[in-house]
Amino acid sequence: MTRHPRERPTLSRRRFLERSGALLAGLWGGSLLLGSCGGDGGRSRSGGGPAVRSRPDRPVTLPLVDDPVPDGREPEDGPLSVFNYAEYINPRVLRTFERRYGTRVKVTTFNSMDEARAKLDAGVGDFDVFFPTPDVLGRLVAKGLLAPLNQTYLPNLRNVWDTLADPFYDRGSRYTVPYTVYTTGIGYRTDAVDRRPEEYDNPYDIFWDRVHRGRTWLLDDDREVIGMALLRRGVTDCNTEDPDLIAEALRELRALDEAVSARLSASAYEKLPSGEAHVHQAWSGDAVNARQYLPRGTDITDIGYWYPPEGGGVIGSDTIAVVRGAAHPVLAHHFLNFLLDEQVALENYRWLGYQPPQKAIDPDRLVADGFVPEHLRSAVVRPEDFDRGCQLLQLSPEGEKLWDAAFARFRSGG
Amino acid sequence: MLAAPGVAWLIGFFAVPLYATLAVACGTDDVNGDPRPVWNPTRWSLGRAAVPELGISGDGLRGVWDGLIDGTFGDPMLRTVLYVSLALALCCLIGYPVAYYVARHGGRRRGLLLGLLLAPFWISYLMRMLAWVNLLQPDGQVNDLLRVLPGLAPRDWLDGGPVPLVLGLVYGYVPYFILPLYAALDRIDPSLLEASRDLHAGPVRTFWHITLPCSRQGLLAAAVITALPMFGDYYTHDLVSPSNRTTMIGNQIDQFLRQSSGQRTGAALVIVLATGLAVLMAYYLAATNRASQETG
Repeated sequence: MTRHPRERPTLSRRRFLERSGALLAGLWGGSLLLGSCGGDGGRSRSGGGPAVRSRPDRPVTLPLVDDPVPDGREPEDGPLSVFNYAEYINPRVLRTFERRYGTRVKVTTFNSMDEARAKLDAGVGDFDVFFPTPDVLGRLVAKGLLAPLNQTYLPNLRNVWDTLADPFYDRGSRYTVPYTVYTTGIGYRTDAVDRRPEEYDNPYDIFWDRVHRGRTWLLDDDREVIGMALLRRGVTDCNTEDPDLIAEALRELRALDEAVSARLSASAYEKLPSGEAHVHQAWSGDAVNARQYLPRGTDITDIGYWYPPEGGGVIGSDTIAVVRGAAHPVLAHHFLNFLLDEQVALENYRWLGYQPPQKAIDPDRLVADGFVPEHLRSAVVRPEDFDRGCQLLQLSPEGEKLWDAAFARFRSGG
Repeated sequence: MLAAPGVAWLIGFFAVPLYATLAVACGTDDVNGDPRPVWNPTRWSLGRAAVPELGISGDGLRGVWDGLIDGTFGDPMLRTVLYVSLALALCCLIGYPVAYYVARHGGRRRGLLLGLLLAPFWISYLMRMLAWVNLLQPDGQVNDLLRVLPGLAPRDWLDGGPVPLVLGLVYGYVPYFILPLYAALDRIDPSLLEASRDLHAGPVRTFWHITLPCSRQGLLAAAVITALPMFGDYYTHDLVSPSNRTTMIGNQIDQFLRQSSGQRTGAALVIVLATGLAVLMAYYLAATNRASQETG
């Protein structure tokens, strides 16, 4: 399972509680999670067949589990119940929606996609709107947890980049509309490194450079870390299940550990400004958000971000969907459409730091309007990045075990 | 009838959870790789052994066994034993004199002293560990101090090594070590000490022959109370030293439980760790039993 930029493992109290919870769940069988897995008891589980796994070259039209809401209905009164990552939507945007529709929006947060899936599967919460990542869509639809969309309620879908308006993971936008896009690259301290990533023969070699021993950090995520080692070797399929390639990546990662004694975190936005990290594998949003964490005497120009200028790195996108059996399906559609409005998307981005894939919001405009400093232009995602980039997608169960085992071996440090 | 609350507690917080964990650990996966617990013990499975040549990775209890041998779990396990032993030794060195002082010389200020010992623990564990990160940073206060003191040089404490981790464990758990020890020291009959003095034993001999043996039970209880949670600790590592060189067994459990595809292996690791700790507990109970028979 890929780690999401909104998971904040080391610093957020919420995340801390979640993990303690995870351990407790392990120790005394957290009733929610396990209850939902019951072979015969689970309400929706019974219908769960194998999930289709989409790839850019193997686009998927998700099967319709239901009829969409009919045309021409008025939005319900609400309140609208939204299920989202913590701190993943601008509260002011929510207030605007409430005013415009004369309703209330109630946000419930989750900390990882697995946790969210378990909760939806157990049927707790009565949510209207959910924010899934593309890798779990197949499984969510196979279990009948998402409602098909009626696009007549979603005219703003035309604002979205063409590549994501009819994406490979959900042909025809049957269940989802895009929310944000981001890349995984190299965050670094321009004032602390002798050579910038682009000055290496292979930019990823910066992670293996002994000069940064004790100051090199990787993302705390199996898919990101092993995926990076694969990219360095020129393997462009970051979803490969070839055991030889994974074994090779593992060997090189252990060499990396030998050379620089890497540490793992998912908070580059904080480790780079504080100087704890000189080099940190990072998400584009980390580089943009770092300015909120700069100590006195550190300038935003001290933070650098590298992503392959010609494309071809790890890239990600998030989506918004309507939950099946939602009490307010029409209002939910209006909410999706509202978030796709250009002004609303921009207002949301100002707070969020993760970019909406809107046609009108191009890199030049973001830099010119001061959303992103000029030297961090590389942290802005362009539509064409999706042509060459690799999205971390759902692996087969066997493939997932293969990646898990390799990462556990890396983590063991032996 | 009187045992009912205890029995309910045991069933609710021990038997059922243990059974659920076993059901996951010895269960199967559904078509999408999500764990599916098996509640019928006759159909429990030991999991699958790895076949590296074919690129097949192990899972469940067999996967854990493989991992103990090839180092994936073996190395963190050994490291955990080492760090917990070191932390216990340090807890003992720090905790014993403190408990001794409060019990023997606390006088009327005893309550105040105990309160002061516990005061930092009103602050969340998370905050206290992050405070250590600030203190130990390259430009943190610890290095500032080392720069001023003659003959000492600042160093990079947070380079991913085990020092801050063991320190964090000691700091995090030492009050749980002091309290039971204090209770044991406080209970020692003063007439025994007087008798020792009457027989011309010096303070050292009195300590060695009276105080230490009389506080052995307290020492053992303190060690058990602190060692058990330390064995499962994973957030101290995450907060102060998140490098692979200091990965503990709790971190591997956390890693596997976080992803649905690894939950069976994670649950199996929980079972293995719990079994190991149960052996330690059994030793403790046997020792207490023996001691109470000796005194009784």
